[in-house]
Amino acid sequence: MKRSRALLLAGVAASAVLLAGCSAPAHSGSAGDGSGTVRFLGPEDPATFAPVIAAFEAEHPDITIDYTQVPFDQYSSTLQQRLGAKDDTIDVYAVDQPNLSQLAAQGFLEDLSDLSDEAKAATSSAQFEINQYDGKMWALSVWNSTQMLFFNRDALAAAGVEAPTADPAARWTWEQTADAGRAAQAAGTQYGLLLEQVEAYYQLQPLAESLGGGSGITGDDMLTVDVTNDGWQQAMAWYGDTFESGLSPRGVGGFQTAPVFIDGNVAFFVGGPWDVGRFASDAKFDWGVAPMPYFEGGEVATPTGSWSWGVNTASKNKDAAREFIEFAALDPAGALATTEATTIIPSNTEAAAKYLPGLEELGGEHAAGVADLITYEIEETAVPRPVSVGYVQFESAMNTAFADIRNGSDPAARLEQATTQIQDAWKKLR
Amino acid sequence: MTASLATSQAPAGRRRSTRRRLGPVGTSVLGAVIGLAFLIPLWWTVVNSLRPGDETFRYLNPLEWRTFFTLTPTLDNYFALLDTDLGRAILNSLFISLVTVVVGLVICATAAYGLSAFKFRGQGLVFSVIILSFLIPFDAIAIPLADMFRDWNLQNTFFGLILPGLGNGMAIFLLRTFFLAIPEELVEAARLDGLGPWGVFRRIYLPLSVPALIGAGLMLFLFQWQAYVWPLLMGTDRDHVVGPVALSNLQGQFAVDYGVLFAASVILILIPLAIIIGFQRYFIQSVSTTGLK
Amino acid sequence: MTTPTTRAGADPRARRAVRPAPPARPTRRGRRHPALIALAFLAPALIALLVLRLAPAAVALWDSLFRTSLLGGTQFVALGNYFELFGNPDFQNALLVTLVFTILINPLQVATAFLLAVLYTRKAAGSKIWRSLVILPIAVPPAVSAVIWSVIYRPDGLANAFLDLLGLPAQPFLTSPQQALASIMVLLSWIGVGYWMMFLIAGINDIPRSYYEAASLDGASAWRQLWTITFPLVRRPLAFVLVADTVSNLLVFAPVQILTKGGPEGSTNLLMYDIFTRAYTLGDLNTAQAEVVILVLITLVIVALQFRLLRSED
Repeated sequence: MKRSRALLLAGVAASAVLLAGCSAPAHSGSAGDGSGTVRFLGPEDPATFAPVIAAFEAEHPDITIDYTQVPFDQYSSTLQQRLGAKDDTIDVYAVDQPNLSQLAAQGFLEDLSDLSDEAKAATSSAQFEINQYDGKMWALSVWNSTQMLFFNRDALAAAGVEAPTADPAARWTWEQTADAGRAAQAAGTQYGLLLEQVEAYYQLQPLAESLGGGSGITGDDMLTVDVTNDGWQQAMAWYGDTFESGLSPRGVGGFQTAPVFIDGNVAFFVGGPWDVGRFASDAKFDWGVAPMPYFEGGEVATPTGSWSWGVNTASKNKDAAREFIEFAALDPAGALATTEATTIIPSNTEAAAKYLPGLEELGGEHAAGVADLITYEIEETAVPRPVSVGYVQFESAMNTAFADIRNGSDPAARLEQATTQIQDAWKKLR
Repeated sequence: MTASLATSQAPAGRRRSTRRRLGPVGTSVLGAVIGLAFLIPLWWTVVNSLRPGDETFRYLNPLEWRTFFTLTPTLDNYFALLDTDLGRAILNSLFISLVTVVVGLVICATAAYGLSAFKFRGQGLVFSVIILSFLIPFDAIAIPLADMFRDWNLQNTFFGLILPGLGNGMAIFLLRTFFLAIPEELVEAARLDGLGPWGVFRRIYLPLSVPALIGAGLMLFLFQWQAYVWPLLMGTDRDHVVGPVALSNLQGQFAVDYGVLFAASVILILIPLAIIIGFQRYFIQSVSTTGLK
Repeated sequence: MTTPTTRAGADPRARRAVRPAPPARPTRRGRRHPALIALAFLAPALIALLVLRLAPAAVALWDSLFRTSLLGGTQFVALGNYFELFGNPDFQNALLVTLVFTILINPLQVATAFLLAVLYTRKAAGSKIWRSLVILPIAVPPAVSAVIWSVIYRPDGLANAFLDLLGLPAQPFLTSPQQALASIMVLLSWIGVGYWMMFLIAGINDIPRSYYEAASLDGASAWRQLWTITFPLVRRPLAFVLVADTVSNLLVFAPVQILTKGGPEGSTNLLMYDIFTRAYTLGDLNTAQAEVVILVLITLVIVALQFRLLRSED
């Protein structure tokens, strides 16, 4: 009895040493001198971060993580207000990646440049670059994302259309997708094509990128609007037409798009990895996954980016705060724990390699090939959102422009108007 | 229908009645139809809170019986709420709202009394200040106010959440409106009986204004029950989370389970509903019926 | 108004009760220091309003004279933010939308609330239940009422399903610049009409029954009684409802934020929504505060007009 307990204790001690050994490289920066409570602010359900917090606290008994959720729709503004007031009740916070430069420029993010080498080794180059502003690194990438083309195999079969495959080499064009969607509509499916975030820059940027329109922001200081070039105009004309022609439904907003696919009312649906698990449990028909399309004769471009975590400059517990984000971003075990309770891709390359097969399994036979597809897109075709201090104003104006174009506004005139609006808003930044 | 009713009821004024008067049955039917029309959106919400979230949008169009009914109701969405902060949030919101109603009613009713029962120089100015105070959009001045509150270290405290609800100019305006309708004779008689200003307020004004007090109470209550922007600025850690914030927290950034969301809103509606229905009977009381006893 | 009051002469206290305040009310004065006593009663409220509303509003007014830029610093620009706003086509459009909205929605809501109050104070079966249903929407969290109405207004939503049932063509609702503002008004009326009705019911219940009885003996029709007794005698609650409703509608932004984001083509870009986006989403606090000052001034003018209008009816 005593003997076995001693053995057990020895075993625990040994594994603790081993664990410490494993994670040592990740912690070399701060030598593990943090303690106390780290207050962490993010837009996710507490259950999402429970695994990573538990894993971290097990390794760092001196540190407690106190997580507060702020609703997603008010997250950026709440953050802006509270950080602006030097609120020291926030130590670590989740950073929506395109907002990073604005937060850094205002001095709300602690400089993490000393971790650059480790960060570079841990993630893809796009995910490393996204945290750079003004030559310094301000946050660590925790999550990543991409978009795929989901399709209703039954609806396509009814129309006699051969379904696409998950092979990036056999990627469909938008023209091809629209034609197949119309064929499905003719065969009785209500709609042909629907994008999950119908009015969001994140999902629509690749349309313009594919036609050579660029991100819409140029210049040395990334404060020059460029959304009226041929690429943007063509992309938006095509996009507006998908609604005008009835291929896509108007007036179905935000979170109500995925249910349209689940209810079998649309042939093609462009969505993210989070839809894989959802469709697997809710969709009662045969569906599949294919690469996100591109325009005929154009470039292949897919959305990417998600959340990084950073340390508040007003924090009074920066050492412990740093240890926590290093664990979540640089330590593969920690990174994997951040995605344990949700379906999103960890930015950490090693963690992603472990995570993706599980995602594919979750999707069952319908999601065959999804792990390889996601890995390919992240490495080869991902085009990040532009890094600019004016991104927030840009995105806000673009999203209303997308909404108007969807409802029938003339794309060329509306892009012109958006340009003026963005220029007006940017004048105030300088 | 109205014609036949009117004839049976008032033969003398038949012509006029048929044209212009709705009989009691007609009134009841019209009242019921309008009431039910207002209910339809909520009924749809309740039905969908009893359905799995992936069925929410399934029976929208064309209309069928399943749009508004379900044969297989399930409480799963409600059970799912047990794992969230909603319970805690409702208790917090209830506490905040009740304190606001009690303290706020005292502050607002005394102010309305001071404004309507006395005549003094500067009365117009004071009234203008009160009107001005509720013309100022609270959500827009919340940012400077939050800066002040942070200086006083009120982040993540109930005090910081309750305080802004107490100054409600509209409730004062409402109470003043009804206080002005209180018969002078009653006040004069009470004075002759030896009641001072406070006695007149307690014994005459308050009992004669029950419907207005309920209205003002509901106004104060709803300000806090639906508070959203302010609590976010003040900080909503898990001990101080409030109902609307917990409700929004149910909407993830990638997907929303509308079944669970609707279940949470049904629960959030229940408490004001109980208050509205519970206080209905006091609405029949009025100056003319209670004041002359 | 004169007919019922003479008829109800048997009940002098009730008659005075509902009469507009006489020009001078000496009996109402506190005996010795009316101003001091009144101020003692008013003090807690005045302090609360001063600290919680007027002080931050003063800060906002001060802030509106400055400009803070992300990359520059803070500088005094006097009325610069105001000039810039008035020169901005989006702001001009927001002003126009707000005025159209205010002019349309307030009379409609107050009239509906009044008629419903009359309806639900009649003797009829189940009035209390039905009117509770009409009041109920005020209790729905704004985030949820927006979701519910987004489902109603979807192209394949409940509203079009009902229209289809009646053999009417489908409407675009929120996706059309012509219909979006009206759709938002319907939604807001669903939320607010019952609430305002509640205060009018309280007012109508204050009218002594004897007035109606006397008028009925006189042979006045129900319609005539409505306009000669009910309407004038709820004038004061009606004034409250009109002012309070106007102010509330000018401060509304949640449904716009969730449903239309000011679109399509800026057709629902109400000033308060514009302020909210500018302050919270774009972080341009100074300009937002200038807009707040403009909004408060507009509200002030409208409310002052309403007070004057109601007074001249005396």
